[in-house]
Amino acid sequence: MSIYQPHLMRVDGIIDETPDTRTLRLVFKDPALAEKFDFKTGQFGEYSVFGAGECTFCIASPPTRKGYIECSFKKCGKATSGLRDLEVGDEMGFRGPYGNSFPVEQMEGGDIVFIAGGIGLAPVRSVIWNVLDRREKYQNVTIIYGARTTGDLVYKRELEEWSRRADVKLWQTVDPGGETCDWKGQVGFVPAIVEKAAPSAKNAHAVICGPPIMIKFTLPVLSKLGFSDDRVFTTLENRMKCGLGKCGRCNIGEVYVCKDGPVFTAAQLKNLPPEY
Amino acid sequence: MTFSISDSGLNALVDEVIASGTTVIAPALVKLSAGERREYQKIGSAQKMALTGAIVSNSLKPFIMPPSVPLFRYTRAKAAVSLEPATGKAQAAVVIGAQACDIAALEIVDRVMDWDYHDEVWFERRKATTVISLACTQADASCFCTAVGSGPDHPRGSDIQLLRKKGGYLARALTESGKAFCSKYGSHFEKAGDDADRDPLIKETREKVETNLKIDLGAIRSFLTRNFEHELWNDFGLRCHGCGACAFACPTCHCFDIVDEPEGITHGVRRRNWDTCQTAKFTVHASGHNPRKDQNSRIRQRVMHKFQIYPERFGDVLCTGCGRCVRVCAGGMNLLEILKVLDKSAEAKS
Repeated sequence: MSIYQPHLMRVDGIIDETPDTRTLRLVFKDPALAEKFDFKTGQFGEYSVFGAGECTFCIASPPTRKGYIECSFKKCGKATSGLRDLEVGDEMGFRGPYGNSFPVEQMEGGDIVFIAGGIGLAPVRSVIWNVLDRREKYQNVTIIYGARTTGDLVYKRELEEWSRRADVKLWQTVDPGGETCDWKGQVGFVPAIVEKAAPSAKNAHAVICGPPIMIKFTLPVLSKLGFSDDRVFTTLENRMKCGLGKCGRCNIGEVYVCKDGPVFTAAQLKNLPPEY
Repeated sequence: MTFSISDSGLNALVDEVIASGTTVIAPALVKLSAGERREYQKIGSAQKMALTGAIVSNSLKPFIMPPSVPLFRYTRAKAAVSLEPATGKAQAAVVIGAQACDIAALEIVDRVMDWDYHDEVWFERRKATTVISLACTQADASCFCTAVGSGPDHPRGSDIQLLRKKGGYLARALTESGKAFCSKYGSHFEKAGDDADRDPLIKETREKVETNLKIDLGAIRSFLTRNFEHELWNDFGLRCHGCGACAFACPTCHCFDIVDEPEGITHGVRRRNWDTCQTAKFTVHASGHNPRKDQNSRIRQRVMHKFQIYPERFGDVLCTGCGRCVRVCAGGMNLLEILKVLDKSAEAKS
């Protein structure tokens, strides 16, 4: 079979996260493949709607939960509009998993700080659940999540669950002006909230994903808190087509995001040209 | 293993290959409103071959990696989807009389297409094609193969290499597939040829190309590594229109897009189409954010990819010095000039 030919999957569930963001739960059509399929947290795939095209997202569900994968996306262009038109039971395509992953084993025994902005919570969510499903292996877990407005917060039910858990410290924030009258979280941009939350850097790793501008201003804050660049992980979301190191699209400096990434440390980012 | 073959022998060989049903691709003359040009084409008879003349205008890339190639077909019936391989398998083909720069390019792109994931869309045609090169006996002012590790008589990538001699050609069978071809069509080849008989024009051509450009590729690579930010990129960017003609004419540029072409509501085909890093759309994110938002950064990417990024990963440069990017550029961009400037800057810095 061609490396460009996707496996067929069936939409098993749909959750509307925000007015323009949706999560699809997908299961493999072929039961043998469903049994065999495995991935690492942080890996991505190419999702196909036949007639609309392919788009690239990290797998948003954790590998600790078998039998399905989830992707969350914002309706932006042709392919994501096609994905949004799918209904439960519809078939679509998936190629993957591709790329490297977050070294969750390396992070065991210490603290983890998750920082995400907007739809950037999707790839981080895979790591969060991977860690929470093996909670005993980690010390303190802090989640700092922000969106433009309260309406733009994704995974609301899970945020609710994390906020109730005693073993998770959750900070939620919205940009100034994005709050509603009953908003009980923070108001402010993510970098400022990270500074306010001031998670300890001692024996800790940070996982961060969000808009380029958020990452740009959060990295210095982490640095100030004492996180060394090789303990801060992010995932790059460059435009891709093949996901296989052929089409040339995600090439930045000496790396192909699809092959050498998508997960990079802040130390690696600093050595890359600013083309992400 | 070196044979020799006469002019009439080569014509008879080509006609026999065509008669056997194998596709033959060779340079042929194309009449233009003013003058003519040579172009690689599928030919129907040996008479169409034009083995000497100006540098061939197109590369061999379209024959191995067509500008648009179907990957598979899809059919939707209510919720269900079925996929089937695209029709049209690669046909056996023989390329005859190709320039060294074009053949070398195939081997260079092989490495990307075999990098961890084996791209059978590329290799299916690649493996079905026997490549017979012909050492160049002509060069123009845009040729610079000798500056990038190739040369008019460089055998890299050839199954068989032809070298012009009086009344015919020397034929060097260089690979197993080349040797098999020579024995299959053995009746057209004569006794072992003597390399000393080769046309002195080959050497003259090499010397001519050498005067076009002399650079230190290692120094340029190291200069590029250190100078992602440099005013040179602005100079180059201002002249570039971002049309991508250079990338499409290039035998080593291999970037592509993947798109669906519906042929109605229920069915259609997914295709792989040539693309180029010279357009803004190549890298723009769904959010509208574009990491390469100006032409300076896009021309930089093209130069960097060829002379720094690919070399870091695969050793050689992603360029065979064919000079087509120079010939087709409407903006007067000139890779020879760019390389000269980079070489001079590298020298000044060290």
